[in-house]
Amino acid sequence: MLVLAACGGTSTGAGSSGGAGSSGGAGSSSEAASPEALTLYTCVSDTTIQPVLEAFEKSQPGSTVDLFRAPTGELNARVAADVRSGGLRADVIWGCDPLTVQAFVDQGLVGGWTPPGADAIPTQYRTDDYVGAAVLYLVAVHRTDVPAPRAWSDLTGPDYTGAVAVPDPSVAASALGALGWFAAAPGYGLDFYRDLKSNGAVQVKTPDDVTTGVAQGIYDAGMTTANAAYAARDDGSPVDVVWPEPGAVAIYGPVALATHSADSQVAQDFISFVVGADGQRVLGEAGSYPTRPGGAGPTVPADAPIVFPDWATIGQSRDTILSSYQQLFGG
Amino acid sequence: MRGGGSALPRAGATAAVVVPLAALVAFPLFRLVQVAWQEGGGDLSGVLGADGLGTALRNTVVLAAGVTLAAVPLGVVLALVLRRSDLPGRAFWQATVLAPVVVPDFVLGYSWTQAYARAGFTDTLLGLSWAGVQGPLGVWLVLVVNASPLAYLVVAVGLAARAEPDLERAARVSGAGSATTLVTITLRLVFPAVAAAAVLVFVLTLGTFAIPQVLGAPAGFSTVTTRIYADLSIGGDPASFVEAVTLALLLVLVAAATVAPADSILGPRLRAARPADAQAAHPVPGRQTVRRAEAVVLGGYLAFSMCLPLAALALSSVTRALGVPPTPANWTLDSFRGVLTVRTLEALGRSLGLSVVAATLLVVLGGLVAVAERRRAGRATASLITLTLVLPGSTLAVALLIAYGRWLSGSLALILLAYLAKLWAFAHRPIAGALDRLPPAELYAARASGAGVLTAVRTVALRPLAPALLGAWLVCFLTALHEVTMSSLLYGPGSETLAVIVLNSSELGRIGPTAALSVVLTLLVAVPGILLWWASNRLRTRAG
Repeated sequence: MLVLAACGGTSTGAGSSGGAGSSGGAGSSSEAASPEALTLYTCVSDTTIQPVLEAFEKSQPGSTVDLFRAPTGELNARVAADVRSGGLRADVIWGCDPLTVQAFVDQGLVGGWTPPGADAIPTQYRTDDYVGAAVLYLVAVHRTDVPAPRAWSDLTGPDYTGAVAVPDPSVAASALGALGWFAAAPGYGLDFYRDLKSNGAVQVKTPDDVTTGVAQGIYDAGMTTANAAYAARDDGSPVDVVWPEPGAVAIYGPVALATHSADSQVAQDFISFVVGADGQRVLGEAGSYPTRPGGAGPTVPADAPIVFPDWATIGQSRDTILSSYQQLFGG
Repeated sequence: MRGGGSALPRAGATAAVVVPLAALVAFPLFRLVQVAWQEGGGDLSGVLGADGLGTALRNTVVLAAGVTLAAVPLGVVLALVLRRSDLPGRAFWQATVLAPVVVPDFVLGYSWTQAYARAGFTDTLLGLSWAGVQGPLGVWLVLVVNASPLAYLVVAVGLAARAEPDLERAARVSGAGSATTLVTITLRLVFPAVAAAAVLVFVLTLGTFAIPQVLGAPAGFSTVTTRIYADLSIGGDPASFVEAVTLALLLVLVAAATVAPADSILGPRLRAARPADAQAAHPVPGRQTVRRAEAVVLGGYLAFSMCLPLAALALSSVTRALGVPPTPANWTLDSFRGVLTVRTLEALGRSLGLSVVAATLLVVLGGLVAVAERRRAGRATASLITLTLVLPGSTLAVALLIAYGRWLSGSLALILLAYLAKLWAFAHRPIAGALDRLPPAELYAARASGAGVLTAVRTVALRPLAPALLGAWLVCFLTALHEVTMSSLLYGPGSETLAVIVLNSSELGRIGPTAALSVVLTLLVAVPGILLWWASNRLRTRAG
């Protein structure tokens, strides 16, 4: 509670430098306010971002972060509106999937810089324009009174007829990442979704909706994020979590520097902190999966299989695979 | 305060309508059109010819029509039944009918699945579940239940302002049966309010998002608003954004094409100038057995449509996890502890302040349009202000950001503008439906007799219009208080509203914290409401 209150104060009572003044003007907040203030746009969960901000401000006395946190849809809308009304007002964008952040790079809004220590992050989690700070794993969640699926393909079998939920890839980028990976995976392809559909699977909007539905008992199993699935299990819901073969789908959330803030030291310091050892530790303790190997984080079973979508290909073929998917599941 | 000439006040009154109309409706819409046209290269066929859009558009219009056709009659019946002071338990029913108004839509969707879907209440207790709750029929039903309080409120306000119990008595004394009296007197008098409710429910449903999103997805049921959100959610590229904006403008066109003709045809015909001396709105007493039967049917409807889903929600707020029986052994206050923080209280304070200011300004703005539309030059204003009601919250917020973000981004002022733009029609329609009680001749008489403008308004206008003004204020206040989408997109440092806390609380698919917030919000509205009701009853009793 104290953390929340303190960080609420961070964004509301940042004193004369980082308060409403920085966001009230157009253009870069770092130009308008003190050089020690930065504006962060993110879709990362509140429970993760607040401790990270607190730790950053403690490590950099005098620095303040003005936060705008919202789900990806609202975040995209805010960025698009900023661009059409005087320019992006964020110095740093921390997204929840590479597709979104790459689109910002393509528009020239962010990118062109990664921190000097970025090479400590595995190559599949970074590009020359941004670096992954956290990972979501799409795993299987199931009721404890049904058999645990060992592989994703098990969900198309008789144990789960009419009782599987999948997130909608036209709404959740994580689900789109999974769709892209399955579409290209040997033995799966779009046939996997066709088989799911013929087995009576339904789509819900987001991975969190899958977790809610399985925990409630509306569905027996589904595809969701590991964080949500473990949270439901730890709360006491009658569910369990499986990292099915051939692997949990890894969706990384990149952090990127705004191009208009290329010279902002505090913005660069923030990104360096988030992907550095200390930031990754705080992030792991707050319940998110760090990208930096070796750091502590939430549960990952020993030898858990993990697969990585090819985001460049997904970006290019998005409309085609979504259209094929929607012919099966509607929406 | 006495205006000597008429030119200056008239110019002031015109400006009081035209300036907000330009600022809240015309300019934001113009900016959206500009984005869609310039960035879409003037060729919208790609967006409008997209796969599935025809189906989504048809779903949207059919849903809006279906919800209107069911929710408005339901609202009328509720208003007629609850109008009876001899109805057993009337105050309880009046409060219960309004309960869904303070629950965020996406939580309401959840509460229905928890009540009626597989493994829900009825399934656990009776072995009965309804898979259709997650499909088009479920979306329709929940929207009907959700819209009926609004229809009820508008019609009840119309009844309070327009009913003529003396006419009803005269009809009964002359031998008319209760059904004939209802059709020929009561319903005819209240028809402007019914039309107002129909327009509001139709337009609101065209732009509704959360319930089709939550309950329609499992059946692949898409609407224009779910497509807009999908465009905003995936990609972050300009093409998707332009598509979202274009689809939102398509909704505006649908609203304009339906509301404008309805307003121009019905509007003038429904108006009448009648005496300002509102009669006590106590209807002709009926038989006690009929009242009891009405109470039983009402109780059954409310139990099914509101009590059970809301009880499911309330239990979720105290149950330690989803999927465990909501028995006392599993009860905990953790969800309440989690959401009742200093930060929540600060946000709640801002939301309360914003809602009070917005509702108060909206009543003034709504009243101005209700007056303006009676003049030839102002006829289109009523239709115009429904155009921002139809915009989904996300798109309206974007429109205001594009229009004013340069100066107001992240400020409470911008959130206030969004509330005013979204809810203007909410305030206007109930007031317009009751304005017949304000014949200009009586205002002129008051002024000619020496009353100042304020005195004339206070003594002649406010008294008969009080129920409508209060109803409009209440519906705007309650809607603004739990609004999520716009303020979660517009807030900035120092302007976090309750919406931000609501969204934060619903992370990881946990329902408990959001349910706890809904319970707190309901209590926050209900407790002062009950105290006010009690106090006004005491005053009335003493005065009597």
